[in-house]
Amino acid sequence: MLIWVAALHCEASPVIDFYRLKKSHRDKAFDLYLGDDMACIVSGVGKLASAAASAWIAARYRDEASLAWINIGTAGAARHDIGAIFLIDKIVDAETAKSYFPAPTSTPLLPGSACLTLAQPSRAYREDCLFDMEACGFISSALRFSSAELIRCIKVVSDNRHAETGRNREQVSALIRHHIESIERQATDLLALDDEVAALEFPAESWQRLLAMAHFTQTQQNRLRVLWRYLCNRNLGPEALLQELSTRKTAASMIETLERISYSDSETL
Amino acid sequence: MASCIYLESQVRHHPLAQKILERLRRLPVIEIEHFGEVFNPRAQNFRLQKKKPAIIIASKTKGHVLAAPEGYGLGGDYNYYFSHMLNCLYDCRYCFLQGMYRSAHQVLFVNYEDFGEQIRQIAATHRQEPVWFFSGYDCDSLANEPLTRFTEYFIPLVASIENAWMELRTKSTQVRSMLSREPVARVVTAFSFSDRFSHDSLEHGVPSIAKRIDAMRRLIDAGWPVGLRFDPVVYHENYELGFSELLEQVFAEIDADRLHSVSLGSFRLTRDHFHRVSRLYPDEPLFAQNMRLDNGIVSYPPDRERQMIEFCEAQLMKYIPGHTYHPCEWHD
Repeated sequence: MLIWVAALHCEASPVIDFYRLKKSHRDKAFDLYLGDDMACIVSGVGKLASAAASAWIAARYRDEASLAWINIGTAGAARHDIGAIFLIDKIVDAETAKSYFPAPTSTPLLPGSACLTLAQPSRAYREDCLFDMEACGFISSALRFSSAELIRCIKVVSDNRHAETGRNREQVSALIRHHIESIERQATDLLALDDEVAALEFPAESWQRLLAMAHFTQTQQNRLRVLWRYLCNRNLGPEALLQELSTRKTAASMIETLERISYSDSETL
Repeated sequence: MASCIYLESQVRHHPLAQKILERLRRLPVIEIEHFGEVFNPRAQNFRLQKKKPAIIIASKTKGHVLAAPEGYGLGGDYNYYFSHMLNCLYDCRYCFLQGMYRSAHQVLFVNYEDFGEQIRQIAATHRQEPVWFFSGYDCDSLANEPLTRFTEYFIPLVASIENAWMELRTKSTQVRSMLSREPVARVVTAFSFSDRFSHDSLEHGVPSIAKRIDAMRRLIDAGWPVGLRFDPVVYHENYELGFSELLEQVFAEIDADRLHSVSLGSFRLTRDHFHRVSRLYPDEPLFAQNMRLDNGIVSYPPDRERQMIEFCEAQLMKYIPGHTYHPCEWHD
């Protein structure tokens, strides 16, 4: 599941249009747009709003095996051209000086930059980084639900010393839309990683059926989880395993059966 | 190739850092204050990072050289270890480094001079007694040699301290830098091997057995002391065949009488490491095998372990003189 977080509708709309996401009328706290394997939430301006929106949507999707995140938005820059796109590699909270690092899993295809998150709009351009008002709120929240490899932050320059387009909604959308193919590549890459993480989890439905077959103590459940996760990942279908266990009467005998299958399977490395 | 470089601002101008940056000049560089900012945070997925780890160029500020754990060594009384890197280029599933750190990034410490100072001090405290310094505990000593130039600094250092001995432990074939210098009798390069079944399944990114044997032979021919490490031996349905074949392959190329030392040990991890690594790789057969927890160590049940070690020792003794053999002792 991929979650896009944008501060403004004009920053979110290129993504919403590209993936044909549909507005959710059920959710009131934030504007939310939904697709098959992704959602886009419009947080409002500021790090607090971004952190709150990220936490809120993570709670909404708490049953997902894994969540991946992209913060898409605009940023100011001293020396970069309007419309330049960056994959943020370091995010600094200007108020606390705390740094966050989204973790690359391949050599980045987009140019990298640090981004300083400010509490207030500013024209005090710094040479060595971009600045925005959300990134640190977004990542500090997202890191509570996902690992740093599943979190990306993409910024397009909307303001510099010579021009300011950040208040023009149509221009902001156009700047981001111009890079939609690069942005899509990031999303595809991230979804593949997310699938890889999610695939290591076992199907929740089979797990519930397994637990219902006997009374397992917490210690037994811990052991059962390890065995079940291994066997489900080894393409030993949950249905066949559940069938095998159906003749066992006790939790202990079920665990013993799964251990026997697991030991036998693992002898071949 | 790494994904990117994290560079501690304090080592930006260090000569070794400059050489590493020059060699990796195509990679993006991200400045950091301290390597722990990137290396230590909780929310990291080691398994995903291991696909293409970043390189962190840093300075080690304390604990440069530490006393080796009990049972670690080659019979010497004074054993220490040091790590000029954290994490390994290779991806061996049985290795405790898989669960040692939260991050899979490779930390390269460039302040060798501080390591050197501590090595000198420790050797001096033991005066005329031999002191062993083991490298390759938290990393592979030679795998990153073109970047780290480890041998360029540490071999002359050890050669200059009369009572210092050093073991480099490696699975790499990066011996060119050693072959370009005069051999030092007190620097032992220990090559680790697993049988071909374990190699194929568990040693991801590790050079082939044949290439490593060749690297080992070239070092021996050049006069360097070389050791063999069959540790860990991993159980599988063909382990007897695999181990016998491995010995045949090794000793077809290597003269056993010219080996400095040979050691052997079965797979074992501390409970914490085992749990961490098995959570990272829940689909890995190695961690689904029949294991026992004994005194904080997860390993094979006693009968199986005894059977494996007895078999492997018997095979090994067909080739090597007994005095070179050092079993890995880890039971109380």
